[in-house]
This record gives sequence, C-alpha cells and structure tokens, in this order.
Amino acid sequence: MLRPVKMSRVVVAGSKNVISPVVEKLHELSLLHIVNYNGSQPQFEMGKPIGKAKEYSEDLIKLRSVTRYLELNKKFPDKAYPESQVLSEMDNLLNNVGADVTATYERIVAIDAEVKSKQDQIKSLTPLAVLPLPLESYYGYDSLATFVGTAATPVDADVARVSPVNEIYSGSAKNATFVAVFVPADKAGEVSSVLSEHGFSETSVPRLEGNVDSAIATLEGSIKSLEGEKVPLQKKLADMKKQYEDLMLATDEYLSMQTHKTEAPLRFAETANAFVIDGYVPADQFSRLKSELESAAGGKLEVSLIADNEADELAEKGEDIPTQMDNPSLVKPYELVTRMFAIPEYKEFDPSLLIFVFFPIMFGMILGDIGYGVMSLLTMVLLKKKFRTPGWQQLINVVLISSVWAIIFGIFFGEIFGPLGLWGKVMGQLPEHELEAVKVAGLYFGEGVFGSLGRIGFWPGIDIFPLDRLASNAVLLLIGTSVIIGIIHCSVGSILGIKTELAYGEKKHAYFEKLPVMLIQVFFGLLVLGLVIGQMMLVIASAIVILVAMVMLVMGPEGPMGLAHMPFYVSNLISYLRLLAIGLASVGLAFAANQLAFYVVMPMLSGGATNSAEFTIPAIIAGLVVLLAVHFINFLLGILSPFMHPLRLHYVEMFTKFYSNHGGGVEYSPFGHVRRFLKA
Amino acid sequence: MAVVADAGTLYGLLAVGAGLATGLAGIGAGMGEQGIGAAVVGVVAEEPGFLGKGLFLMLLPETLIIFGLAVSLILMFAWTPFSGIVTP
Repeated sequence: MLRPVKMSRVVVAGSKNVISPVVEKLHELSLLHIVNYNGSQPQFEMGKPIGKAKEYSEDLIKLRSVTRYLELNKKFPDKAYPESQVLSEMDNLLNNVGADVTATYERIVAIDAEVKSKQDQIKSLTPLAVLPLPLESYYGYDSLATFVGTAATPVDADVARVSPVNEIYSGSAKNATFVAVFVPADKAGEVSSVLSEHGFSETSVPRLEGNVDSAIATLEGSIKSLEGEKVPLQKKLADMKKQYEDLMLATDEYLSMQTHKTEAPLRFAETANAFVIDGYVPADQFSRLKSELESAAGGKLEVSLIADNEADELAEKGEDIPTQMDNPSLVKPYELVTRMFAIPEYKEFDPSLLIFVFFPIMFGMILGDIGYGVMSLLTMVLLKKKFRTPGWQQLINVVLISSVWAIIFGIFFGEIFGPLGLWGKVMGQLPEHELEAVKVAGLYFGEGVFGSLGRIGFWPGIDIFPLDRLASNAVLLLIGTSVIIGIIHCSVGSILGIKTELAYGEKKHAYFEKLPVMLIQVFFGLLVLGLVIGQMMLVIASAIVILVAMVMLVMGPEGPMGLAHMPFYVSNLISYLRLLAIGLASVGLAFAANQLAFYVVMPMLSGGATNSAEFTIPAIIAGLVVLLAVHFINFLLGILSPFMHPLRLHYVEMFTKFYSNHGGGVEYSPFGHVRRFLKA
Repeated sequence: MAVVADAGTLYGLLAVGAGLATGLAGIGAGMGEQGIGAAVVGVVAEEPGFLGKGLFLMLLPETLIIFGLAVSLILMFAWTPFSGIVTP
C-alpha cells in the first residue's frame, strides 16, 4: 500500500500485417503504458498512422467547433450510447445539425454586432438634439467643412476671426456646450486649430435623415425588433443543446477514441515489415497481456519480458518507470492530496495511506465540534449527489471522512455549536456538587466556562469530562498534544526518507542527513518535556543526543552548512501548534456568537431582562439572526482552514522529509480509454 | 534603583506583551500574504485550476502568526515568573 504497483518492462514485436488487430486489442485491454519511441536507433523509424486517421481528426475538429458554439462542458453522463447508434447518427450530427447550429450561432453574433452599432449611433445622436438642425444638413457638402462636437468655451468670435463666412449653431447639453460649425472648405485647417484651442472634441454624426428625435426612435425600434429576433434563436440553441448534448459528447468520445487508436503507431518503432512497442505493464498482468495479444495476432507476434537488471539499466538511462498508486478504496480519495503535490517516483513511497491516517485526525482536532461536523457531513452528502465527476467525488470523500473525525473530537471537547452551545442541553449539566468534586480531584478542564461542561450521558459510570478548549489547562494540554502529533508525523516522514534514500543506494544521505533530523526533532521534544516536568536527567540526555546528531549533520553530505537548517527543524515542530491555534480561533468565534446572541442581544432588546423567560419575541428573533449569521461564517471558515492547514503540515513539514527529492514521477496511464458516454 | 510594581501592573504588562506578540506577528503574516494573494488572484484569473495550490501558498506565511500566538500562550498560561506575587 505504501509502495506503488510493481511494473514489468515488456517489448511487443510483430508483423505489420497484424498491427490493426493488435492496436485494437491493446486499446481494449488498457494495460500497457507505452514508452514513446524517440527515433534514436537508425534501423527503426517512427510508425505512421493507420486507417482513416485524417478523416477522424477532421470530424473531431468539426464537432468540437459545434460543441463550442453550444457551450457544452464535460459532465457526468446521463446515459450511454452504443457505438452503432453513434456511427449511424454521426453524419446527420456533423453535417445537418452542425450546420444548423453554426448558422444560428453566427446569426446571433451578427445581431449582437448590429445592436451594438445602433446603440453607438444613438449615443452619438442624443446630444445633437440640442441643435435645431435636421440630420441630413450635417453631411454631403462639397464646398463646406463641418465641425460637430463639444467645446469648453464659446467659439463664435474666434471662428469669425479666421473665417468671416461661417454658420455656427450651439446649444448646451448635460455638462458641455455642443457646437456645429460650418465654414468654407478652404478655411478648414485654420478653423480646426482655432477650435482645438477651445477644447473642441469632435463627434461623428451618423449618416441619417430627418429630425434627431425621430431618428433615435427609429433606431430604438429596430434594436427592439433585432432583440426580438434573437430570443427565439437563443431558445433554439438551448433546445438543441438539450436534445443533442449527450449524443455529441458520446460522438466526441468515439472520435477521440478512434484518433487515439489510428495515431497510436506514431509511438511505435517500425521497419519495413514489422513494428515494436516498448512499454510497462503491472507485473501480475503480464501473462494476461501476452496471451490476449498473441491470440489476437494469430501467432504473428512476440511479447517478451525484459529482465529486471536490464530494465534498471534503462531506467538509469532516463526512462521513467510509471507509478500506479495502489490503495484500498477507503484510501483512494487521499491520492488526490498526493497528486496535488506530485506523483511519487516508482522507487519512492506513496504517502496516501499516511495522509489517510493523519489528515482526518488533524482536521477533526481543529474543527472539533459535533454541530459543525454533522453540518459538514450533511453538506458533503448533498454535494456528493450534485458533483459526480471523479475529481469532485474524491475531494468530497476526503472532507466526508474528516467530518466524522470532527464529530469524534467534538465529543472530546464537549462542543455542539461552540461552548455555551447545545452540549449542556443535549448531554445534561453536571450538578454543582459534582463539579466541586471534579475540581478537588484535579480532573477539571472547564474553568471559566461552566455552560458547556457536561457528562457524556450514554456511558453511565464512565466519567469522561469534555475538555473545554478555552480553559487554560486545556490549552496547555493541547499544546503538548499538538507537538507530540508533530513529532510522530515528522518522524514517520523521516523514517520513510531514510528508507527511500537506501532504496536509491544513497547511504550517506540516509544516515547523515535524514537520521539526524529525526533525532533532533524527537529529542528536542523530550528536552522540552524534561524542562516542563523538571527532570534534569532527561534534559541532559536529550541535549547530548542532539549534540551527537548535530555532529552527524556536519559529517553529512552538506557539511557544516547542514547546521543552517536547524532552525527549520525546530520551527517544523512549532508549526504543529496550528492544530491548537486554528481550533481556538474557531472556538472563540463560536463562543462569541453564543455569548452575543444569548447574553447581549436578547437581554438588551428585551429591556435589560436577565431571565430567558422574559425575553420578548423580537429580541429572540434578532438574537437568532445574529446567532445564525456568525455561526454560518464560522462554519465556512471551519471547513476551509481545517482543510488547508493540515494540507500544509503534510506538504511542508512531512513531505519534505522523504518525498520527491529525486523529481516527480510519471503516472501510469495505459493505452486505452475509460468509456463514459459509450457502451462497451 | 529598585523598581517597584504591584502584581496587577505586572500581570497587565504580561497581557500587553502577549497581545503585542500575536498582533505584530499578525501584521507580519498579513504583509507576507499580501504579495502572494495578489499573485494568486492573477494566476487564478488565467487558470482557475490553480486555486487550490494558490490557497495553499497563501498559507505559508501564516506560520509566523502561529509563532506569535505560541509566545502569547506561553506568556499567558505557561510562563509564571510572578507566580508568587500574581493572584489573578
């Protein structure tokens, strides 16, 4: 489980006559991870596509443009089609339906453009209404130059100075003066420079006729009719999308599959009469691959296994052995977290199992509230029905499992929607005299906040007292717990690091780089523990081990520079305090919400009533609104931060100890296809 | 010169120190996240799939505030130099 699936290096060689059935069989089996031939050997050349590769890819391009017009996205398949149906409807879909969609889409685009241009015309016409001229008088002159636009200051006198013959109209629009100046064409240059001195900015006048207001009315009328034409077209597109969506996605899948198959030989090596495929297959599947392929090719093919030492040589030359993570279905979702960081290399550990163990505990410890836990559980169950693509399902499952842990920690912490929340009402309050007894026994973790303290009612006789996280001795306890979790987490990382380095044969890195780090972190924890409980022997012993570890670091591959990382190793451990700190922040907000609603808003609006029976109805409603709003915000934050922070603890604190020091791996992706819209 | 202060003043100063530790660390973390946040928003506009990684990157400087908070918690709960005189 911590290791990827064992792979075998295979070579498939056969006669070119059988290349089609072999490709077909390989695609169906979906077992062989093909290593692309790079053309490095003179006796082999790269393969060429087989069959109707060109037609398939042309059809695919045609289909993709239609699906883009319809705005089709990847979605969860509602129904699957048999290949024969896709084939029989493909011609109609690509030509008739496709042409119809394209024409409709193009008409909508044209309408949009026309509406836009008419709106621009209206924009430039509107200010012209202040001038007393019909539209046709603005254009069409041979001997006259026209200037229409806004001016900052009156222009009449200066224009008259350069061109005594002139005609000037002006009117004031919203916040500028609008002028129309007509002068003889030969004076145009001079008038233009005079106008620019007055802050003149020109407006283009649309070439229309008649009165401005009626021209605007005509334009508005035609915009309305254009938009009236657009509505049924959009509806038509939406209808077509609904009708053909699944079929189009199925056809897309079919064509992708076919191009994939027909272009597969591009990845093979070929001679005049034979082809060779290099690849990897999970070791336990080799015999199945061999027998299936040989029967498909009728004996004109040889599938052979490369010996391990030769395969290792190939890997050293730079061939990537693909990694297939191998986890039970409960752990599978956590592969998403691993994948987000990097695919492990073939010889490295796959940390998904560790994430499965630690991540939900950390999430639970931070959120730690039965109320929020149940809410997030329900939310995830609802989302699980809504988002059905594999990626979303994995993410939702991660949060789902974590929510269960949040509920478990909620029982430890005695929180249902925060301290002072529903815990006391659900589980019952401890009587006063028992509280006293608990205090005397030193078991009391709830000072300061009495409301949430209660007993877990369903186990009579077993006195488990919820740990009130806001109480000071509980904070100290949780600081200790966080650091201990940190030490365990980091140590597991270090152990894997040592084993990984050994697997790569790097003994020096294993014993003088990874091991001292683990020693330093573990014994730093013990040293602090010794200081806290006052055991000087423990302190001295730990200090000696830390010194030894530091000497080992100096002897290690990095030399004295290795010591420069010391603060990083210590801050690694302090970083785990976020398990407590983020939790405290969320408890604090929940506490504030309850306090605000029940002890501030409700009493204040009820005119200073102190007893809950005296609260007025409006006061209770206002209090509930405050309560719900703050709790809702806290809930959203309460999903996000407990998710992101443990993620960081894994990526930065744990993974750096063992993971991908040798560069990321390549994921096992066998030649084949997972059918979604097509029936097998 | 002998500095004389009563228990209440000392406890108050402790609380002020704890507040400063968390608050100043918070400002530091905020300044760190400012640049990362702006860059992440820029990247997400180009490539929405980066959101998860971006959010994660934004959390990196948040360790600073955890250090500040740790100091505050130690000051308030664990460090008791005045345990003889402070009676809260």
